Amino acid sequence: MAKTKRVGVKIDMTPMVDVGFLLLTFFMLTTQFKPQEVAEVILPSSHSVFKLPDSDVMSVTVDKAGNVYLGFDAQPMREAIFGPQGKLKAGMQVELKDLGRLMREARIRNPKLRTVIKGDRESDYAVIQNVMEILQKENITRFNLVTDLER
Amino acid sequence: MAEVQTAESKGKQKHAGKKKKKRIAIRIDMTPMVDVAFLLLTFFMLTTTMNKPQTMEINLPPAETKAEVAESNLLTLRITDDFRIFWNIGTEKPTTVEGTNKKEKLVALGKLLKDRNRANPKLITLIKVDGKAKYIDMVDVMDELNINDITRFSIAPMLDEDKKIIGTL
Repeated sequence: MAKTKRVGVKIDMTPMVDVGFLLLTFFMLTTQFKPQEVAEVILPSSHSVFKLPDSDVMSVTVDKAGNVYLGFDAQPMREAIFGPQGKLKAGMQVELKDLGRLMREARIRNPKLRTVIKGDRESDYAVIQNVMEILQKENITRFNLVTDLER
Repeated sequence: MAEVQTAESKGKQKHAGKKKKKRIAIRIDMTPMVDVAFLLLTFFMLTTTMNKPQTMEINLPPAETKAEVAESNLLTLRITDDFRIFWNIGTEKPTTVEGTNKKEKLVALGKLLKDRNRANPKLITLIKVDGKAKYIDMVDVMDELNINDITRFSIAPMLDEDKKIIGTL
């Protein structure tokens, strides 16, 4: 039997590498790192297709245990509302009685602020209801509930 | 590995003393660089989050306004903590929305709301959710309203009287 001769196969990898680098640049430029969260929250799901606004966001986070956190996306705003120690945190835990006052202060500084509520799906509705009542009292009649896309 | 072949050619040049420079073929092995590039590519592909969270917009009337609504134009939805849905128009006796599980109830609710709104375009839906219910219950109901394009709704707290009406107190 004749020994099969080994054939050296040479493939030009250049196009693949080109595409690889193209994709790499694309992902590097488009990637946005997840903003830090104040509290661990599992969002409820819905069919809504509204997108969360990019800037001027004031978020009221309610976690599973019913703790309420107030957060802002802009660092100067956080410093103004929570003082220097709150500058680097996404938000701070607040008492319900202070929530209205803090939101009023923030809205005076930036009237364009959009209010969003991030509630844990398992949190009691009573807390959310209280938050919504405070919003209503502060004349924030248009707000958004942050949800996940229903699968 | 990078192979840079220069030593040999340099020697030649000195000896010959020619004006014309000889082209030097430099071969660099690109494999490690490509490896790193692909590693980064996989990293960015896996960590990137394409989908932004969705939001549901809610418009509530300001706290002071008291809107007068004719009884026949008001549909009240009451949701208990164990997710039973009661509905009634005006001061009618509340009826439950039937369904064996949450999903069926929501679908039935959606259909009901659609029918009622078609029958009376001036209908306003008032949602009362028990404080002990979960947030997801409220979001699910709101979602059902959104799907059926019902924009005229309001949220009110569930009072003891409401609980009496639906018989949970």
